[in-house]
Amino acid sequence: MTLSEIANGKLAPRTGIRLDNISKRYGDHLVIDDVSLNVEPGTVTALIGPSGAGKSTFLRCINLLERPDSGTIQVDHHTIEPGKVINAKDLAALRRTVGMVFQSFNLFPHMSALKNISFPQQKVLGRSKEEADERALQLLERVGLKDKADQHPGRCSGGQQQRIAIARALALDPSIMLFDEPTSALDPEVGLEVLAVMRELAQDGMTMIVVTHEMQFARDVSDTLVVMADCKIIEQGDPRAIMSDPQEDRTRRFLRAVLER
Amino acid sequence: MDAFSAVLQGLPMTLVLTLSAFAIGIVGAVPLAVGLSSPNVVLRLACRLFVDLVRGVPIIVWLFLLKFGIQVGTFKFNPVGAAIVGLGVVSIAYLAEIYRGGLESVPRGQNEAADALGLTRGTTFYRVLVPQAFRIVSPSIATYLTGLLKDSSIASTIIVAEMVFQSQSFARQHPTVEGILPYVLVGVLYIVLSLPVAYLSRSLDARMRKAVYA
Amino acid sequence: MNWLIEWAGYLPQLMSGLGVSLMIAGISIVAGYPLGLVLSVMVSAKNLAVRTLGLAVVEIGRGAPALVILYLFYYGLPKFGIAFESITAACLALIWNSAAYSSEIMRAGMQSVARGQHEASAALGLSWSHTFFRVIMPQGMRSAIPGLMGVAIQMFQGTSLAYAIAVPELMKSAYNIGSQDFNYLQIFTLAGICYAAISMPATWITVYFEKRMARHA
Repeated sequence: MTLSEIANGKLAPRTGIRLDNISKRYGDHLVIDDVSLNVEPGTVTALIGPSGAGKSTFLRCINLLERPDSGTIQVDHHTIEPGKVINAKDLAALRRTVGMVFQSFNLFPHMSALKNISFPQQKVLGRSKEEADERALQLLERVGLKDKADQHPGRCSGGQQQRIAIARALALDPSIMLFDEPTSALDPEVGLEVLAVMRELAQDGMTMIVVTHEMQFARDVSDTLVVMADCKIIEQGDPRAIMSDPQEDRTRRFLRAVLER
Repeated sequence: MDAFSAVLQGLPMTLVLTLSAFAIGIVGAVPLAVGLSSPNVVLRLACRLFVDLVRGVPIIVWLFLLKFGIQVGTFKFNPVGAAIVGLGVVSIAYLAEIYRGGLESVPRGQNEAADALGLTRGTTFYRVLVPQAFRIVSPSIATYLTGLLKDSSIASTIIVAEMVFQSQSFARQHPTVEGILPYVLVGVLYIVLSLPVAYLSRSLDARMRKAVYA
Repeated sequence: MNWLIEWAGYLPQLMSGLGVSLMIAGISIVAGYPLGLVLSVMVSAKNLAVRTLGLAVVEIGRGAPALVILYLFYYGLPKFGIAFESITAACLALIWNSAAYSSEIMRAGMQSVARGQHEASAALGLSWSHTFFRVIMPQGMRSAIPGLMGVAIQMFQGTSLAYAIAVPELMKSAYNIGSQDFNYLQIFTLAGICYAAISMPATWITVYFEKRMARHA
């Protein structure tokens, strides 16, 4: 079953997101400098660049885990101005539309894999326990971990935990998925399991924004490559074009360092 | 009556004092711990001040204050009441600090994941943070209980008939060498009583490590 | 404002009591901590007799309430013909207490020094005593500092128990005044303030050190 089939036979509406003029400082330290990004529905955007460029912070601004100081976020007919007071309803709607997968998985260690996926459905979407458990099992099967349903995260490997985390985020039927360096904490081999799940998600038409160091994934799977450095977007466009012939010197230097390892 | 039975006579009171104060502390510390971690600066500082003040004054002073200092109308604390209330309030302060440390030790990522999923503050607190914090601090809580057991002996100074008080009165009545016995016995008794709790604390610690860390 | 003047009148007596409290606390720390260090080494020793002796001293010092140890020294030992003055008995009892608690803190501190340090020393061919005294101990002691500061504050508060053996420390001074003038509420509040005025800043300093050390870990 594809993910779209799991959603009761109807495709979750493809949604895009548009961020304009996002800026953020920590004290005197500028972290994001007037960044704008338009993500078309159903596309995969890979965000790459040197450390400290603000990529993760920018990603976390999208679902307001970080509060930008200024700018606007438009998604699904909602416009949010994070610099001003945010309506609690808007925030809840945003968090339902946007799902997130973290570098350190952040599964709830005191709950089984199944409960990790079922519990948020019950609390956030109000689904019944039976319904939530059933969807959780379907998603676990989809990511290849049905036999781990009753295990606690502590007994699962890193790759397994991350796949459970992806299932947990998907259980809430998001239209957009954010991935914050999902494989950085994993061995290269183990990371492949996770990347495989992400590729399938992409094929199913999920809108995805991925901060990553996995250049092959970025080149093969993403529709748009965004290069961030020094708190700004310095280049964006077709991944293969940029990787074979970067326009900016900074991009060139970064790619050379990364690809040479 | 020999020294041992004399001391044992005080055991029920020792247990009553310890367990009542512990019960008061376990429950009362929850709102205080919430206040200590509150984003509201005024609330947080007020709670901080309360905890530091209660812990900054020796228990015997609190007991004397409650027993001799409080006279509201015709109400005065009897020794046992003063002891339970005093030990209870002190327990609230210490346990609140332990709870707060536990809450703070839960990895930040847990909060973020809960936020990203859209869980409410309440659900996040009670279903995600508290269960994990409890596993982290249950050894410390067990250790605190043994400390409380020993602190119950301070009530003897305000004439509460617990174990140390009983050993004192026995010793006073027996000026011979036998008179040292009650002190030795009561010391041994406290150590023996703390053994099951220490064992519990160690096994809780081991279980916690397995479940949370793999 | 009458009570302020009253309170000011009590201060000299309370201050002399406080002085005794601080003195006893000081003695218990200065004599107790080195003893605690010895105990922490004994407890980790290979020799069973040494280890058992160390463990016994620590477990009794930690496991028995301070009040019991005070009574033991002041009321108990005289039955064997060894009579101590009240202040001496209090000091001895609190030295035992502080040695026991501090030894546990120091032992934990030493154990927390990373395995890698032992391995590096062994690989370099350093002797056991060099490894222990020049590599492990300095690092272990450093991480034990906040814990030891906490024990010191505990010791200061513990001197209040010496009231029970008629030591003229702060608590006893307060009680004397109280039983004379029958103003227990005021006098014990004042005594409490004296204790808090020392314990609270000391605790804040300890927390500051704890945070600083965590940063450099």
